[in-house]
Amino acid sequence: MIELKIDNQTVEANEGETVLQAALRSGIEIPHFCYHPCLSVAGNCRICLVKVDGRPKLVPSCNLPVAPGMTVETDTEDVRAARRAVMQFITLNHPGDCGICDKAGECRLQDYHVRYGEEESHSREPKHHRPKFSDLSPRIVLDNERCLLCSRCVRFTREVSGSHQLGIVERGSHARVERLEGRPFDDPYSDNVIGLCPTGALLSRDFLYKSRVWYLEPVRSVCTGCARCCSVNVWRRQREWHVRALGAELNRAAYRVTPFENPAINGPWLCNKGFDLHRRMARKRALTPLIGGREATAEEAVQEAKRLFAAAGNPAVLAFAPASNEELAAFRDGLGRRVQVYTREDYHTEPGEVAEDDFLIRGDKNPASYSIRALFGNRPYAPAARHDLVVIWGERVDYHALGGAKLIHLASFEPAGETAADLLIPVSTTFERSGTFTNFEGKVNRFEKVFDKPAQVLHAGDLFGRLVP
Amino acid sequence: MSCLNERFDRLRAAYPAEMASSLVLPLLHLMQQEKGHLTESDALHIADYLGVPAMQVKEALTWYTMFHRRPVGRHVIKVCRNIACSLMGAERLLGHLTARLGIGEGETTADGRFTLLAVECLASCGTAPAMQVNDTYHEGLTEEKIDRILEELP
Repeated sequence: MIELKIDNQTVEANEGETVLQAALRSGIEIPHFCYHPCLSVAGNCRICLVKVDGRPKLVPSCNLPVAPGMTVETDTEDVRAARRAVMQFITLNHPGDCGICDKAGECRLQDYHVRYGEEESHSREPKHHRPKFSDLSPRIVLDNERCLLCSRCVRFTREVSGSHQLGIVERGSHARVERLEGRPFDDPYSDNVIGLCPTGALLSRDFLYKSRVWYLEPVRSVCTGCARCCSVNVWRRQREWHVRALGAELNRAAYRVTPFENPAINGPWLCNKGFDLHRRMARKRALTPLIGGREATAEEAVQEAKRLFAAAGNPAVLAFAPASNEELAAFRDGLGRRVQVYTREDYHTEPGEVAEDDFLIRGDKNPASYSIRALFGNRPYAPAARHDLVVIWGERVDYHALGGAKLIHLASFEPAGETAADLLIPVSTTFERSGTFTNFEGKVNRFEKVFDKPAQVLHAGDLFGRLVP
Repeated sequence: MSCLNERFDRLRAAYPAEMASSLVLPLLHLMQQEKGHLTESDALHIADYLGVPAMQVKEALTWYTMFHRRPVGRHVIKVCRNIACSLMGAERLLGHLTARLGIGEGETTADGRFTLLAVECLASCGTAPAMQVNDTYHEGLTEEKIDRILEELP
């Protein structure tokens, strides 16, 4: 342990830590653009300058190792003057177009400008223009004018994702972030650079102009894209900002998905499939119970299910939905005791998707595999067992492969096939309930309810106790 | 390109195997000698040859002003316009060259003989004004001296 003084406060730090890290850990705010705890130190933005006793000039605290007895001041008049000057320099050619910038409201540059900058620019020169709104990739819009060349995105592709697809080309005021002309920016983790960017230079094409961020709020959820079960934030509209003019759909939309920092599972990162979680959830839902193809109420559907069970001699359940641990427990204790349970994998690698890597993406694309295997083992459906009633709890099941049994389908999304099940019961998605998943390593991860479920949709967990006569 | 790769191989043999990225600049220079100017596809070629990320080569290529990224003439004239040379009349000499060659700064004559560039300090302040024609320095320049130099060029 090393003891040093920051702003007259005694701070304990570990050997090898920097002054910036020690300060942030002790709740002392030192502004920083280019520093990021998961990336190498670049030391290029200069906003983190501090005064160190015994040193003639101000020093960037992100690149200053702690030393015993060091005395650091972060809020003297000369430090504040340096910050003002750095802000002048960084915003010299910044277009100041916060009014049309998606980043506004969660922009480090905007926040620091208010806190540490000056109202007016000292420059009388016209702003130097750089390329605006270019497609860095089909997913990301790049605005070089807003960029402050902190190199966070570049370092991310070099140090975290390893694609090396971004760089800073040219020099001086011509310097800009760019990809190679002939090669796409198709890094499967590319969307992380949007959140890393301390200003509005890198924006999500999907979220572009969809909403002001201050109308939204994050809800902690879990990505169901693979067996990693990464923590995510699902951004919904705040209750007080539900307005009639938007209509029901936009008031109840998941606007975007960003990583939720979870050191045990995904750190601060997420793969692009995770960033697309809300788009997968926006697929056409199963919303109305159907008895033999005819619309019915949820209560009628439950009665019909009971009738089918009473008439069945040899029922089975085919389980592999993105079922939470709580739902699986309810299933095991209810219906699961009385029927034959089969397991299957609903989701497989899609064309164009990364199958597996040594970072986050897992080959098993099913979030509940670990728990289902722990409870029911690995038991593929056996047509030879001649079941006369099969409950499908999940998606993408070929009805014809189930050998003419009566079918009850518990589905969150509209089934793709042409034929209808004898009974379709719509069940909630992970956005409509809370619970936990256990990932492939056995780590439990929690998700919260983002939206209330629609009226005629049931929670599968509530259903299992009611189905058995 | 195969002949170029042989030259690459000879240079590479002089470097320790783990220092591939130290070869980026020497190879860019070699390639420019061969081709006159360099494009992104040349950066990709060097990256593939060395097994380093292509972006790293492109960054080096675009950062250094001594790499030409547009076609240049047979003789590249670089006139220093930094402080010492400017005080000694570099602007006047640039004007003289512009008038004589009929091209502006950054341009190449129609016959492909000359490219005229204004550059930052050539580190020849003691003998200002200076210019560089291809790899040769010419110092203490006057209009007459420039005319003579141009006439002697092939």
